[in-house]
Amino acid sequence: MSNSANRVGVIGAGMTRFVRRAKEAPGELAAKAVEMALDDAGLTINDIDAVCHGTAPDAFDGVHMKGEHLIAGSGGVNKPYSRHFVGGGTGVFSPIHGWMHVASGKFKNCLIVAEEKMSPCVPHPAGAFLTIFDHTTEQPLNLTLLHIFAIEMCRFMHKYGYTEEELARVSVICKKNALGHPAAQIAKETNVEEVMNSPLLSWPVKRLDISPTSDGAVAIVLANEEITRKHCKAPAYIDGVGFRLDTAYWCTRDLAYPEYVANAAGDAYRMADLSNPEKEIDFWEPYDPFDYKALHHMNGLLQDPTGKRVKELLLSGAFEKDGSHPLCPSGGALGVGNPIAATGLMKIAELYFQLTGQAGARQLQKTVQRGIAQAWGDLMQVGTVVIMNADKGTVSTSNKWKEMKKEDLPGTALKSAKDVPFIDYQPDIRYSWDNGMALTTYLEGFKAGKIRGSRCPSCKRMMIPARAFCEECNLKEVNDYFDLPDTGIIKTFTLSNVDWDSSMLGDGKVNIFAVIEIDGTQENMGLVHRLMEVDPKDVKVGMRVKAVWKPEKERTGSITDLDYFRPLLKSDATDVKPVRVKPVELDSVTAKSFPGKIPLDYRYTAGVAGVKFYEDLAQGKLTGTECSCCNTVHIPPTAFCEKCMVSLDSDGKAKELDPDKGKIVGFTVVTEDRSGEPLAKPEVMVQVGFEGATGTIFGKLETEDPSKVKTGMGVALQASRECGPNHLIFK
Amino acid sequence: MDVAVLGIGFCGSFPKSEGLSYRELIRRAAVMAYNDAGIEASQLEGAVSCEEDFVSGYSISDEYVPDQLGVQKKSVYTICGDLLHGLSSSVMQLKTGQFKLIAVSSYSKASNILTKNEVLNFAYDPVWNRFDVTPNYLAGIEMQQFVEKSKYSADDVAQVVSDSKAKGLSNSQAPYGANLSASDVLNARSVASPVTEPMIARPSDGAVVFVLGTEETAIKKARKPVFISGTGWSSGNSIIERRDHATSPGTANAAKMAFAEAGISNPNKDLDGIYVSDLYAHRCLMHLDAMEIEGGLNGKINPDGGSLSNGDLIEANGGARLYDAIAQLRDEAGSHQLSSPKRVAVQGWRGLPTDSCSVVVVDRERRIQS
Ligand SMILES: [Zn+2]
Ligand SMILES: [Zn+2]
Repeated sequence: MSNSANRVGVIGAGMTRFVRRAKEAPGELAAKAVEMALDDAGLTINDIDAVCHGTAPDAFDGVHMKGEHLIAGSGGVNKPYSRHFVGGGTGVFSPIHGWMHVASGKFKNCLIVAEEKMSPCVPHPAGAFLTIFDHTTEQPLNLTLLHIFAIEMCRFMHKYGYTEEELARVSVICKKNALGHPAAQIAKETNVEEVMNSPLLSWPVKRLDISPTSDGAVAIVLANEEITRKHCKAPAYIDGVGFRLDTAYWCTRDLAYPEYVANAAGDAYRMADLSNPEKEIDFWEPYDPFDYKALHHMNGLLQDPTGKRVKELLLSGAFEKDGSHPLCPSGGALGVGNPIAATGLMKIAELYFQLTGQAGARQLQKTVQRGIAQAWGDLMQVGTVVIMNADKGTVSTSNKWKEMKKEDLPGTALKSAKDVPFIDYQPDIRYSWDNGMALTTYLEGFKAGKIRGSRCPSCKRMMIPARAFCEECNLKEVNDYFDLPDTGIIKTFTLSNVDWDSSMLGDGKVNIFAVIEIDGTQENMGLVHRLMEVDPKDVKVGMRVKAVWKPEKERTGSITDLDYFRPLLKSDATDVKPVRVKPVELDSVTAKSFPGKIPLDYRYTAGVAGVKFYEDLAQGKLTGTECSCCNTVHIPPTAFCEKCMVSLDSDGKAKELDPDKGKIVGFTVVTEDRSGEPLAKPEVMVQVGFEGATGTIFGKLETEDPSKVKTGMGVALQASRECGPNHLIFK
Repeated sequence: MDVAVLGIGFCGSFPKSEGLSYRELIRRAAVMAYNDAGIEASQLEGAVSCEEDFVSGYSISDEYVPDQLGVQKKSVYTICGDLLHGLSSSVMQLKTGQFKLIAVSSYSKASNILTKNEVLNFAYDPVWNRFDVTPNYLAGIEMQQFVEKSKYSADDVAQVVSDSKAKGLSNSQAPYGANLSASDVLNARSVASPVTEPMIARPSDGAVVFVLGTEETAIKKARKPVFISGTGWSSGNSIIERRDHATSPGTANAAKMAFAEAGISNPNKDLDGIYVSDLYAHRCLMHLDAMEIEGGLNGKINPDGGSLSNGDLIEANGGARLYDAIAQLRDEAGSHQLSSPKRVAVQGWRGLPTDSCSVVVVDRERRIQS
C-alpha cells in the first residue's frame, strides 16, 4: 500500500450464531461478539481507542438512530464512536471505516462491530423494504426488495444467457461450504433439483435462491502495523479498499452489470498494487444474498462486462471449495445466514481466518496469500470491497477458531417471540414530501395522462422522472419539460407471487413488474411499473408496451394514475414525438407534497437480561446483574457490563434488590403524550436509584400531588405481570 | 497534512421549504459550496452524508445521497450522526492519503415529518425507556438535574433563550429570532418541567454542504479556505439509566480530543468564537460546562443565535453552526460578525436521547505545517 500513513491489520474476531430470531436484545448480540473479538485479540475494552459500528436499516431492529442504541453493547461508552451506513454494503464498509480511523494515524486501534436484528419487524422484515424505494415515484406501486432482485436477476440471465439451473449451483456451493461454519443458520448438503423445486416466489427467484433473514452480530479488532506486529498471533492486513455508490435512479442504468462493484474493485486493486487480480487473489467472498448475485458481483470483481470468464469458472467447477477460484468458502449469506451488515463483516472475518490458518473445517487446501470480500446494497447501487493479505508464512498457533463448534458460539434461537416476555409497538410515522418544481411537473403530467420528462441542455438526456438538474452534468440546471410517448420497451421484469410484505398473493395471482424504457428517451431511461392484459408466460424482454390510464376523474397526480402497461397493439400509434410543455409555476396552491409512511409494526423480545427482570417483576422482585470485574450491580440488568465488556450471567448471578427502597434521583412533570398531544392530566416521570446498585430505573410515579415530588424522595417499584416500560410504575 | 474547508454552501433555515424537494434543496447548497471552492462536482472523489433513515423517510436513506451532490458512481457513504461526526470521518479519510477532495453534507426536511414526536419516541429503548408520554421527558429530567447540580439556575436557562433569540434578530438566515424576556420563557407552557416550550428549538428545513481538500493547488484555488486543526467526538452511555444527566461526558471527551489535537490549552483564551448545541436551552450551558468554558452564554458564543434562533436542522445542526463559524473566520458574517476571529470551535450534539457529541476546531490560518 503505497500512500497510506499506516498499514492496518486485523488482530481478532468474534461472532454470534446467526439465527432467525434471537432471544438477545440488539445490544446483547453486539456485546457477545465484542467480548469474543477482544478476547481473540488479547485486549480489553480499555485498550480500545475508538469504536465504529455498521448496521443496516433502523427499520429492522425497530429503533430510530439504532447506532446510538447500540453504543453500550458495542463497547462505545465514553469513546469516539460512530456509525457508518451504506445499506446492504455496510458490513464490508465497516472495516473500511475502521481502516480510516487507523490508517489516518488518528487512532492506534479500532473496534469494528456489525449487528443486525431483523426479527422484531412483523409480520416479516421484508416489509421494511417497501420504503427503500422513492417515496413519491415508486412506493405507490407496493414494491419490495424481492421484486427488484428478481428484476435484476431476469436482466442478468437475459444478458449473459444463464439458466436458472446454472445459477442454482451457487446456492448449492454456499450451503455446502457453510456446513463447516459454526455460526451457520441454513447450512446443508443440497443439489440443483432441490433449489429448482423450492417454492417460486417471484420468477425467476425461488425460495432456495435466497439467503434467509437473520439476527446476529460480528466484531473485529483493527490495529496499526506496530501493534499488529507486536501481537503474538498471525495477523492479516487490509491492503486495498474501495467503495462506490451509483445513482438512486435505478431504472436509469442497465442492471445486468454492476459498474459500481467494478469501480470499487478497481480502487482496491490500485491501492493493493495488484496488476492481475484474478491470479493474485486466492479466494473470493462476493456478497451472495441471492445465488445469481455472487456471479453478478464476480463479473464486477473481475471487471468483465462480457461475463464470459465467470460463466466459464462456474461451469468448470472452479468455484468449488477445492477449485481454482474458491467462492464463498465461509458459506456466505446463502449458507451462514444474512443478518445484513453482520454478514459482510462475517466475510471479512473469513478472510482473516483463512489467511491465518484458523478456518478449521473450511480451511482451503491451497496456500492462501490474498483474499477479497465484497458487499453490495441499496437500490442495486453500492459496492464495497476489501482485499486482505497474509503475512507470509505466519500461521496462527491458536486452535480456538479452528475447533469452534456451533455450541461454542453465543446467540439463543427462539421459535417465537411469544416464548419469552415481549413488547408490541406500533410507531405512527407519517410524512408529506415536498415535490418541488420537477416532481410537481412530473406528477401533474400523470394527472393529465402523460409521461413527462425533462431534458438536460448539456448531455441532452431526456430524463424520467423529470429532474430539475442533471446528476451527470455537474448539477446543471434543467428547464425543458416534455410530454413523452406513453409507449416503451420491456428491459427486464418479474412475475411475482408475493406482495410487498412477503405474504403470498395466493389463488394463482401473479403481479408483473417491469422496467420499461420509454420511447422518446434514450437507452436505459425507464421507469418501473405494472404490466397487465398479458399471459405471464408471454412476457419477454424486448416486448413493446403501451400505458393504460385510469379514467381522468380518478387521477390524483400519482404514478398510479397510469394504471398499468399492456402489450402494444398493431392499431396503437407509434409515431408520437415528445412535446415541450410549460413546467408548473409554484405557488402556495400548486406546490404539492406527496404522502409517505413507514407501515411497520414491531414485536421486541425483552432480551436475555430483560426477560429475567420482567419475570422477576411479575413476582414483585427487583433484580440486577452483577459484574465481578468492576464489582457492580447493574440496573436495569444487562447481560453484559458496558464498562468491562464481559458477559454477565443475568440468571445465575442475578442480585436481588429491595423494590421498596427506591430513591428519586430525577423527575419531570409531562403534559403531552408520545405524539405531542396534550395529556388529560399531567404525569410524573421519575428516575429512581436503589441502594447497592449502579444505575436507575425510569418509570411513572403514581402520586396525588406532582408538586410535592422531590429528589431523594423514597418510592417503591410496583409488581407487574406485563412487560415493557409502561408497566414500570412507582408509588 | 493540512485539511482545509475549501467551500461552504447553505440553503436555509426555513420553517417550511415547500417549493424545493429535498433533492433540490441539497443541490442548491452543493452548487453554492462547489462554486465557493472553485470546483465542479465531477472533480470530487466522493462524499459523506450525515443522516438517519426515519428522518429521511427511507429504510435505506443513503441510496438517495449521490445525485443531488453530483457524485454518483463515486466513493460515497453515510455517517449516522451530526454533520460534525461526518466531517471528522472525512478528515480521517483524507488523512489516509488515498483521497484528496470530498464533500460533506447534511439536510433537514423537518417540515415534511408529520409525526416528529413519534420519530423521537422511536429512538428510545423499547424494553426500558419508550413510554406513552412525550419523548421530551428526558429533557425535563436532564434540566431538573442540571439546575439542581450545576452552578446554573432555571433563570439562567431561560436567559439563554432570551439572549439567543435576540442574537437571531441580527442574523438574516435565522427564522426564529425574537425579543423574549427570561420571565416570558419561564412562564410559557410547560412541556416536561422545568422545560417550557420556548426552551426547545423549533424544527427547520435546510441543507448544508462543505468541500474538504488537502492539495495545495486546490487550497490556492479556493476563494477563502479555512483549516481544520482539531476533531473530536465521543458518546456517553446509551443506557440512559446509567448516565449522569447533569453533565455531558460526550462533549467533555470530544472537546478534550479536539483541543489536544489543535493545541488548545485554555479554551477560554485560545478561542475567539464558540458554537454549542442549544436544541434545549439547558444543553447550551451543559455543553459549555463540559468544554470548560466559563461565564455562560457571552458575546462570542453562538453569535448566529444558535438552534434556538435558526431552528432544529436535525443532523445538519452542527453544519449550520460550522457554516456560520467559517463565515466569521472569513469576516463574512454580516451584522453578527465577531471582531476578526482567528480560531473557532464548534460543538454538535445529536439530540435526545443521546449524549453523542463532537467538537471541531477551525482556523483562519493554517497551524499545522505540512
Ligand atoms: Zn446532463
Ligand atoms: Zn464491569
